[in-house]
Amino acid sequence: MATQLGGMVVALGLLASAPWTMGNGQAQSGKKDVPPAAKMDSAALAKVIDQHINARLKEEGLKPSSNSDDGEFLRRVYLDLIGVIPPSEKVVAFLDSTDPNKRAKLIDELLEHPRFGTYLGEMWAGMLLPRESNNRRLDHRPMQAWLADSFKNNKPLDKMVYDLLTAVGTQQANGAATYFILNPTADKITDNVTQMFLGVRLQCAQCHNHPFVEIKQNDYWGMAAFFTKTRVSLNPKAAAKQGAQISVFEGAAPPKGKRNNLPQGAKIVPAKFLQGEQPKLDPKEPYRPVLAKWITSPSNPFFAKAMVNRAWYQLFGRGIVNPVDDMHEGNFPSHPELLVQLTEQFKANDFDLKYLYRAICNSQAYQRTSRPVGDNKGDKEFYSHAAVRSLSPEQLYDSLTAVVGNPGKDMPKGPKNNFRKGPASPRDAFLSFFRIDEGANPLEYQSGIPQALRLMNSPQLAGAAALNRILSESKEPAQILEKLYIATLSRRPTTQERQRLVDYVGRQADLRTGFSDVLWALLNSSEFGLNH
Amino acid sequence: MTPQLSRRDLFKLSAAGILGTSVSGWFNVLASRAAETRARHKSCILLWMDGGPSHKDTFDLRPGTAQGGPFQEIQTSVPAIRISEYFPRFARQMQHAAIIRSMSTGEGAHGRAKYYLHTGYKEGVGGLNYPSIGSIAAMEIGNPSNPLPNYVSIGNRSYGSGFLGPRHQPLNVVSPARGVENLRPLVDSRQFQNRVGLLEELEQSFHRTHEAGTSLAHRTTYQRAVTLMQDRGARAFDLSNEPSASRAAYGNTVFGDGCLLARRLVETGVTFVEVTLGGWDTHQNNFNRVRTLSGQVDPAMSALIDDLRQRGLLDTTLVIWMGEFGRTPRINNRGAQPGRDHYPRAWSSVLVGGGIRGGQVIGRTDAEAATVTERAVTTLDFMATVCRILGIDHNKLNQTPIGRPVRIVDRGANPIVQLV
Repeated sequence: MATQLGGMVVALGLLASAPWTMGNGQAQSGKKDVPPAAKMDSAALAKVIDQHINARLKEEGLKPSSNSDDGEFLRRVYLDLIGVIPPSEKVVAFLDSTDPNKRAKLIDELLEHPRFGTYLGEMWAGMLLPRESNNRRLDHRPMQAWLADSFKNNKPLDKMVYDLLTAVGTQQANGAATYFILNPTADKITDNVTQMFLGVRLQCAQCHNHPFVEIKQNDYWGMAAFFTKTRVSLNPKAAAKQGAQISVFEGAAPPKGKRNNLPQGAKIVPAKFLQGEQPKLDPKEPYRPVLAKWITSPSNPFFAKAMVNRAWYQLFGRGIVNPVDDMHEGNFPSHPELLVQLTEQFKANDFDLKYLYRAICNSQAYQRTSRPVGDNKGDKEFYSHAAVRSLSPEQLYDSLTAVVGNPGKDMPKGPKNNFRKGPASPRDAFLSFFRIDEGANPLEYQSGIPQALRLMNSPQLAGAAALNRILSESKEPAQILEKLYIATLSRRPTTQERQRLVDYVGRQADLRTGFSDVLWALLNSSEFGLNH
Repeated sequence: MTPQLSRRDLFKLSAAGILGTSVSGWFNVLASRAAETRARHKSCILLWMDGGPSHKDTFDLRPGTAQGGPFQEIQTSVPAIRISEYFPRFARQMQHAAIIRSMSTGEGAHGRAKYYLHTGYKEGVGGLNYPSIGSIAAMEIGNPSNPLPNYVSIGNRSYGSGFLGPRHQPLNVVSPARGVENLRPLVDSRQFQNRVGLLEELEQSFHRTHEAGTSLAHRTTYQRAVTLMQDRGARAFDLSNEPSASRAAYGNTVFGDGCLLARRLVETGVTFVEVTLGGWDTHQNNFNRVRTLSGQVDPAMSALIDDLRQRGLLDTTLVIWMGEFGRTPRINNRGAQPGRDHYPRAWSSVLVGGGIRGGQVIGRTDAEAATVTERAVTTLDFMATVCRILGIDHNKLNQTPIGRPVRIVDRGANPIVQLV
């Protein structure tokens, strides 16, 4: 049933026939006769989000915390949408603005910010391209650029993923081809495609049936079968040696029973959609478009939901189904009806990612303060208050350098750079040093002693130049203090803080010594180093 | 070089009211460490020979054969055991050592093999990030209140803690002569104390209003880092405290310094230290390079063993010499100078001390040192053996953050009975 009979009919048809309830939390019976929901705009969807969240809080007997301060919201939404803290001028403008719609306007502004695409592109590239030893010589940047472009132009996500999954050619001609160059075997690409775009961790099933869930080994290899014609023209070592470009294409179908790019221990089974039907593949035609079409179809039971869950995860630090890419019947969504509605609206709005972000960021749930009140401090699941999250290495580096300036050539060189020719840039060295675990949970703190030592004692992060600039502009201690707070914490100091710190500085040898201590403390504080 | 702040200074400054509220967090750590008496757990020093050292030119020679190469064998302190002539000092310590000649591990690509031999798992399988043996040892047998991290890697960043989390990440020392990166503050100790005091105030204030696990972890990590900066034990990282004669005994090389640093760290109670010597990937010019590298290993390793023995630490410290695979029994003549290529099918590793029965050879290879003929030792067997020697239960299940159970060493491991 790979043909399109008309989206609605197919959607209902599949809903009726599917035996699964993958992460949906709702029985499928009784849904047959309900027409797809009326399309709503992002403001309306934001209200729907709050209806669901607030209703659940009431059920759980949890009192929600209050709305965030302006400074709190400003810093959080900057980090979440463009991956860096706001510059001082923006902080002052936002804090002092009396426009009642300033928050909504800020969200719109950030969605159109030049960094929006590059930040998201770098994040997605990190998830799509494994940092493994075999990929040492290969370059992430074409993939990052291709993604950045798509996100910036708000290419509908179904089209973007379709183009990604069917990419051919060289990285240089088509950045998306990087996906297959860095995931060159059928098992690697299957792992990533199912995890990212179906929200399902099939990797366990590579070797054995999943212990808890109805996923069998054949399900895994049935999906891997779609990639058995995908080839790369050269291996990375040969390409580096010859100075040639690697090209991705679909070659001849493997002869019956032959493994080709399947690993040892692979099961050779006919191609089959996950928990779906077995399409008839024409061996003379590429296989991936068949899979890509099924994945990105509005009737696909996994894709839209997985994308919605991932967007939610990016903004809250946890998915509605958590872990974000482990959506199976044993893993219940915390807010099942909300997930259904978000998914329906995402599809109704043509897989528009900015629409989704706009709706979520404008909700009260997103804008709540991270300060707990009373009993709700134990709540980790119901959004009574915002979570205090770790910064990613990218967010940390970009925010630090926004304050202290870009380090010079003497930033310590990290381990040999994996992804470019030549030595690591200071940014790459920093990212490598601070990246403790791939796919680290943002709700947990990841850094250890070596990272803390670097942040405390590295001359490149001391910010002498930045401090000098501020000192040359202002001589009054209270003013200087305010500038430091605005630059680092995106807020003004409280009266108490002002009194205490101006007093402290007054007792030091001179203004510079005192304020360098203050700046050091600010940069090493939780309030700077975390997303709250 | 800015002087370290001694505990006496800390007390003095605190009494003078300069430190304010900042010290309270550390007093607990200092106090508990002083009060604690602990039985000495074992330690491990992994001498990592990066690139895959040729077994046929180090510990499993076939002199006089067509593919044997020019090296000769010498007698060791154990009559039946002979090794390369370029390990004369180590040869005299063979009574403390066991040579495993039957390593057989299957992975012949550098990256994958290094990962495999450090973690016991193949890279990427099951979508997990596996912890290295160093992190495992730090977690299982490390002293949790040690102000120094229990896993230190010298010369190379090595493999991290994977899903075990940030606490068991290695502290990396790039250059033994330079010590730990960023251990010294940018300002003098008095000003540094002021700064830490300010930071502690900010942290307390934030934690009072937010009470978040992440900020608590942030604060704790910083406290531990500051404690490390000020702990007497951190002086172990400073090689200038060693007499020059001992640096000479270790060979006066970067690797020798690394081994010396490893000894000092084990003396202060660090559980696992890895010291890397690279350059063993001898596709070209195998014999000259192996000779040079052996010349660096011999004094360093033997001085290390001597020092440990003299300090009564050899029985509780396992020293491992190994790389990620061996090299082809056949010599290649592709280049200007003969070489050997990757070979994981049969190769050698060496274990010393740690309470093992020394003076043994485990396993055998055939006439060409190409195939294992007796007691093949897989990666799992090897890891399980090391775990047993260190007192780690290799069958223990650890949990990944999503609750998936993972054995320390995968199923199917057979530890070497002669060594455990």
